[in-house]
Amino acid sequence: MSEPASANAPKPSSSVKLVLLGEAAVGKSSLVLRFVNNDFQENKEPTIGAAFLTQKCSLPTRTIKFEIWDTAGQERFASLAPMYYRNAQAALVVYDVTKPSSLTKAKHWVAELQRQASPGIVIALVGNKLDLTNDSGDASESAATENEFESTPNADEAAGEEGEEQDVTPGDARKVPTREANTYAEEEGLLFFETSAKTGTNVVDVFTAIANAIPESSLKTGRGTGAGTGQTALSGRSEDSRVNLGDRNAATAKEGCAC
Amino acid sequence: METLAETPWDVIIAGTGLAQSLLALALSRSGKKVLHLDKNPYYGGAEAAFSLDEAQDWMKSVNQHPGQSPFQDVTLSTYQHPQDPHDSSTSTQGTPEVCPKLAASRSYTLSLCPYFLYTRSKLISTLISSKVYRQLDFMAVGSWWIYSLEHSDAENSDLGATRVLNRVPGSREDVFADTHIAMKSKRTLMRFLRHISKPQDEENPEGDEDLSMSFEDYLTSKFSFPPDLQSPLLSLSLSQLPLQETSANYAVARVKRHLTSIGAFGPGFGGVISKYGCGSEILQVACRASAVGGGVYALDTGIESFTENEHAAGEEPPVKAKLSTGETVQTQFMVGSLWDLPNQESPSASFARVTRSITIVSSSFPSLFPITVEGAPLPASAVLMFPGDTLGSPQSPPVYLQVHSSDTGDCPRQQSIIYGSVSLAGPEGQSLLNSAVDRLVRAEGPQAAVLWSMRYTQVGRLSNGSAEPHLHTLSPHVLRIPPSGLDLAFEDDTVDVVQEAWQRIVGDEVGREEFMVFDDREASDE
Repeated sequence: MSEPASANAPKPSSSVKLVLLGEAAVGKSSLVLRFVNNDFQENKEPTIGAAFLTQKCSLPTRTIKFEIWDTAGQERFASLAPMYYRNAQAALVVYDVTKPSSLTKAKHWVAELQRQASPGIVIALVGNKLDLTNDSGDASESAATENEFESTPNADEAAGEEGEEQDVTPGDARKVPTREANTYAEEEGLLFFETSAKTGTNVVDVFTAIANAIPESSLKTGRGTGAGTGQTALSGRSEDSRVNLGDRNAATAKEGCAC
Repeated sequence: METLAETPWDVIIAGTGLAQSLLALALSRSGKKVLHLDKNPYYGGAEAAFSLDEAQDWMKSVNQHPGQSPFQDVTLSTYQHPQDPHDSSTSTQGTPEVCPKLAASRSYTLSLCPYFLYTRSKLISTLISSKVYRQLDFMAVGSWWIYSLEHSDAENSDLGATRVLNRVPGSREDVFADTHIAMKSKRTLMRFLRHISKPQDEENPEGDEDLSMSFEDYLTSKFSFPPDLQSPLLSLSLSQLPLQETSANYAVARVKRHLTSIGAFGPGFGGVISKYGCGSEILQVACRASAVGGGVYALDTGIESFTENEHAAGEEPPVKAKLSTGETVQTQFMVGSLWDLPNQESPSASFARVTRSITIVSSSFPSLFPITVEGAPLPASAVLMFPGDTLGSPQSPPVYLQVHSSDTGDCPRQQSIIYGSVSLAGPEGQSLLNSAVDRLVRAEGPQAAVLWSMRYTQVGRLSNGSAEPHLHTLSPHVLRIPPSGLDLAFEDDTVDVVQEAWQRIVGDEVGREEFMVFDDREASDE
């Protein structure tokens, strides 16, 4: 699916604002990097850099352009901007399958989204770092596996560590059983996936599932506030009446800015 | 990094108003280590935007802690409109039920300090050069309207609110098309528009024309303007003073700004507003971009006290600040507004005060948002002026109402937000605002009802007031930025102050032209 938007026939295209949430070092940015660039960096710095990425996702009947908002590290001191999730149509709440506390944190984020975000928001719960477990292939089969191994002391920072191959396979580092997270996701009505940003397992699937789960109605009205679904003779106009500041930038580059 | 105390900071910025947020962005991208704090648990300070619940919390907090913010005297009312069984059969039969009810709290984004941007504003250029605009949605500000007591269409209820309003011609095309203005007046208007569109030297090779008189005298003596056309022109200048107290110098420059802004981003409009809460959205995007550049953010964290050591040796930062969290942080520079830095003095007497109101109305006011030029986007906002004399108070400054449609994302569909302001504090200002909002809502018709309203007074600066828009140097390491502007349109001097503060901190070796000019660092598949 990660083919660029080269579809010949113009399909209806809609923008979807997607926010990323989760504890530090669970691999939020790595997931996005895999999805957008099909790339992985072993020892990625904590996110300071790209915080706004776009990627198109082509469905049979339409094209979804994800506007992906990374937290830019602003979650550290409880300072994530309200506008970060306001008007988001989708959220990716990420935890680390080798770190139980990160699932606890993920549940907090889900609760906060349910409280603060648009009522119709599509939330996907994603257990990342599947490559550190024994069942790095198919997530659904591994539900009952409780592992006996101690995780490596720094497993929680694995994505940020050197992480040579031999280091990560003394055994299965999984600490969060698939079944536990899946049950929770079902109770809360979330999409659920286990992924590996490192190997790419399931990454594209997450975004495709989200794209499919976005209700058609919420696409038509653009980034509706969710509450104002009342019909009006002029509905669907909001996207059209946006002013594009990029226009003047290009158009008047030669004559120089007014200031 | 788990604590703020470990790092020696280059700059600590207190408060997340637009000026501070732009400064944080500029400095973080200039390689400075920036700690950006706000004592409030939300972004924006005086320029914040709130849901209904948040507005209620804010009101309690402001009223409980007078002097801690530039606001005072907040009151809030919620209105119940029970369906009248006798009335409903006559008005709503056959039409879809219009629900005169408030929606959920977070369906609303209410701006404390709403302003729009003229398209040629320095802020727009800054948002473009810094690439910040990519994360913002802008909507057009469309027509200007002026309230009139003698309106020929007053009985025509099809016109909605515009039966008591006249559209202010904002361009020569508008003047041609206008059906209300007498032919003679049209000629006067054209002459004026032509005059001020010309470059100064071409019109007046001898030198600058005399603009020291009042705008009223200028229009009368120089152009023999009929009185009924003077207020509409005043509205284009957005002057917060009455006609006779507005200087020609001020008004002419701003009418010019209005005229030259039209068309810069497309036909039919000269102003834009940021969707989802005006300046609040812009400043939050700036903070995000600053965080991307390495800025560290902490809300609910104020500066309680600080000490300066002039003789700090070598690398040791000269300022030590104690935070409300108990931590002590060190920095080279500290920047904040009067209300963000400790040991505050009381606000200068030269600051202006405006009374503001925010009103949620159960009508979309469709007639206020016409598309007047082919190809123009549908406006999401309109500017209405009620001259003092039309509200029975000829000496009073005009009341301005900015109506935001639901396209701004500030409220649900079928509803609108009316942001009112008048540069008159106290009960007198409140009563003028009430009166203006009431007349607008009543003219719209029976389906328009006020659902919620809030009133408050804000201290700040007006572009035609006397407060200095300067950067205050409290010490070589502590800079104070002026309070937020109270004007309807963003005034460029805020960007100037930010640039001055930035230059002071990065030093003279960094060229002025590097201010807020960033490369794209974000992958884009466009």
